[in-house]
Amino acid sequence: MIDGIKKLAKNLTLSELRSGMKITAKEFVNTKITVQYPEEKTPISPRFRGLHALRRYPNGEERCIACKLCEAVCPANAITIESEMRDDGTRRTTQYDIDLFKCIFCGFCEEACPVDAIVETQIFDYAFESRDGSIMTKERLLKVGDDNEQVISKTKAQDAKYR
Amino acid sequence: MVEIEIDGQLVNAEPGEMLIAVTDREGITVPRFCYHKKLSISASCRMCLVDVEGAPKPQPACSTPIADGMKIHTQNERAKASQKAVMEFLLINHPLDCPICDQGGECELQDVAVEYGSDVSRFSEGKRLVAPSDIGPLIQTDMTRCIHCTRCVRFGSEIAGIMEMGGTGRGEDLKIEPFLAEGITSELSGNMIDVCPVGALTSKPFRYELRSWQMNAVESIARHDLTGSNLYAQTYKGKVKRVVSGDNDNINETWISDRDRFSYEGLAHEDRLLYPQIKVEGQWKEVEWSVALDYAVKGLKNNILNSRNAQKLGGLASATATTEELYLMQKMLRELGCENLDYRLNVKNLDKTIHLPSNIKLAKLEQVDYALVVGANLRLEQPMINHRLCKAQLAGAVMNALSVKEFDFNYPVGNTIVSPNQIASTLAGVLKHVLEAKNQEIPEYLSTLTPSSEATDLANALLNSEQAVIILGEHVLNNTQANSIANLITEIAKHSNSKTLNVSATANALGAQRVSFTPNSTGMNVNDMLNAEMSAFLLLDVIPEYDFHHVDSALAALSKEDVFVVSLNSFGNELVSQYADVILPMAAMYETSGTHINIDHKLQSFSAAVSAPGEAKPAWKILKVLADLLELPGFHYESSAQVLSEVAHQSEVDHEYDSSINLDEATPAIETIWMHSPYQTDELLRHASSLQASKIGQMNAASMSQATADVLSLKSGDRYLGVPVDITDTTADQCVFVSSNQATNMGGLS
Repeated sequence: MIDGIKKLAKNLTLSELRSGMKITAKEFVNTKITVQYPEEKTPISPRFRGLHALRRYPNGEERCIACKLCEAVCPANAITIESEMRDDGTRRTTQYDIDLFKCIFCGFCEEACPVDAIVETQIFDYAFESRDGSIMTKERLLKVGDDNEQVISKTKAQDAKYR
Repeated sequence: MVEIEIDGQLVNAEPGEMLIAVTDREGITVPRFCYHKKLSISASCRMCLVDVEGAPKPQPACSTPIADGMKIHTQNERAKASQKAVMEFLLINHPLDCPICDQGGECELQDVAVEYGSDVSRFSEGKRLVAPSDIGPLIQTDMTRCIHCTRCVRFGSEIAGIMEMGGTGRGEDLKIEPFLAEGITSELSGNMIDVCPVGALTSKPFRYELRSWQMNAVESIARHDLTGSNLYAQTYKGKVKRVVSGDNDNINETWISDRDRFSYEGLAHEDRLLYPQIKVEGQWKEVEWSVALDYAVKGLKNNILNSRNAQKLGGLASATATTEELYLMQKMLRELGCENLDYRLNVKNLDKTIHLPSNIKLAKLEQVDYALVVGANLRLEQPMINHRLCKAQLAGAVMNALSVKEFDFNYPVGNTIVSPNQIASTLAGVLKHVLEAKNQEIPEYLSTLTPSSEATDLANALLNSEQAVIILGEHVLNNTQANSIANLITEIAKHSNSKTLNVSATANALGAQRVSFTPNSTGMNVNDMLNAEMSAFLLLDVIPEYDFHHVDSALAALSKEDVFVVSLNSFGNELVSQYADVILPMAAMYETSGTHINIDHKLQSFSAAVSAPGEAKPAWKILKVLADLLELPGFHYESSAQVLSEVAHQSEVDHEYDSSINLDEATPAIETIWMHSPYQTDELLRHASSLQASKIGQMNAASMSQATADVLSLKSGDRYLGVPVDITDTTADQCVFVSSNQATNMGGLS
């Protein structure tokens, strides 16, 4: 009986509606945390392990020297490298493939690389339109590196002091 | 035997043996760089320092002889500290370029550095840099990486017999480099790659291709010579990428010749036959196996079998084939009722062939105190046999060569240079002198002979020795007195208690003999076949311009309109395409399983390391299917091992040999001895590009004396049979010795 009266009084005074509206009013003036993806993106750690890239030296020479340490360390066997002696006598890859379906984005390849050639960029939003699109060839990896060199070198510099 | 204590563990050892040999035997790890079990001790790297109780300083394990009651610590603080210090010292000048170094992953320095090295270098001064030197097409040098262990130097002086590399300069300026600008010319040079503990000497053809961990190693046998060296074929994705030596103290110890090491390069040559081909109306057509085999069977049936005339079929094989292939081929031909088969394609006169059994084991060769080499350039033709003699010589043995030309042995040899027609009479002189010294009866054919002074010297050397060996080589194969020479050697050996070694037929010739790949009395040998009216030929790995002695008559016989030729080959060849009607692509070395019989009569079986490219198949399978299609019984083999077990059950046929000695045979005025360069002896070698680019592969000269040149009216720089003339007084008169990297000049040889 008493409970019934209490409930009725609550309903008539609209107290629940008012406490709800209080939160709405508070959030109305608070800072917004929703990010308007894809126009806006959340900040990403410099250690983020996204899509791979092969880097070049500032003079345009590719960094990779085909030491095959990344291939050896890769726990998913996602990396395939074929190497040769280039005409100028240097050790270079003729093929450098990463199968993104196999890759588990552990970042070991980046850790193993003695010349900072293979890196994982902050790019995470990519898609393939064909099945073989999952194979990142040497050309595609270098393209990613060329397009994002500024970001890559910035994040590497940010992280350098912790290594 | 004495008892010593290593790390608290009691171990038995021979007094005087080196500590490191004991720890190796007991499985106790002692790091080392300069020590190598087959080389002398230099104790220069100091990496193997261990703590010996009672010694004031740590002692190098490689040069510390065992004494009774020694107490050794390999792991205590003192030993570890000295090893760490040495490691730090070695890394002062060693570049940290492991990522681009081919030795990475199989580097002794890298392995030891992981265990003993420090992660931070205290050395901040500049590192030493050594200018690179080009030492030939087989070995890549990067001497900045050298840690001066001198294994390669000791290998050169002790094993290869020529010290081509050495240390120049002192202290930090010490450089290991070849003395001559022409680089390394040794026929065993590739072993330096194996002994080098770091990446200073690496394989040039293999450069930058793969890491050691990417490859599978398959045990195999080298089939280029009579040794049958044990080796590993390292494969990657179905291709042989590198060959390294295997260990077998009875055969090749731990060394292999360059020929065995680098021949694999030929496998990937563009000339490889990939598909069966048939010739239809003069045009070659690539077809399916079934079509090609049907065509071959139909051709054989039409030409010989339907007319029941198997006598018009001939079977010729190269001695490089495996024992199983030769066995299947002879079984097939004999089932067809055909007795015309032969492998001795390069022999001029098969009526009088060499018969000389080898009765000394390879490993025993290094114990001889005297060797007489008759007609062989042993160093290049049989490198591993020569290596054993080199060891014998270093132990004090005396070496003599009886030959038509002075050859470059890698040890001192007393040369007796005689014309080809004088070899038999010189040996007869030796025999006569031996018989006289032993008070034996002089046979009639020697009665009128007066031994020359050279012959007496040779005979005396033979008589003064206790364990002598007489080696008969390939150069007398086509001597008009070849069989007399062999029989004289048998007689000399019998009366002087010497051993004999017959290296006149190479590759798997002993395998061919084992399966009787020669005609019996009713059949025709190769030279008879080439002159007879034949209707069909079955050829196994035959390349006419290299394999036949009588190239012209061979080509004429094979090219006849109505002769049907089925040829099994692994490489394409223009002349084969001219005469063959069917070409069946066969697997090359490393691509087939089989057995090689070496000079010790040891049967060594090997399995295929990789599968053959394209549609090529192992020859034993091709022969088996061909026999099945010809409806012959007993060819249901499932593996080459099954074929081999059948071979093992066959008793060896004893052929009758002509043991007569005739010293009065007429000999030609000028005899040409045509030897292919040692890197041209089989099809795989001829396609191995780095070997062909090497000094030995480039050998191409017709050597003759001035007198011979005058008779032939030739000058230096002229060409004789297409080969540049080299006039030298180290060649006997009445003889032209051709060592060529070209095919036999057709029409030039009779």
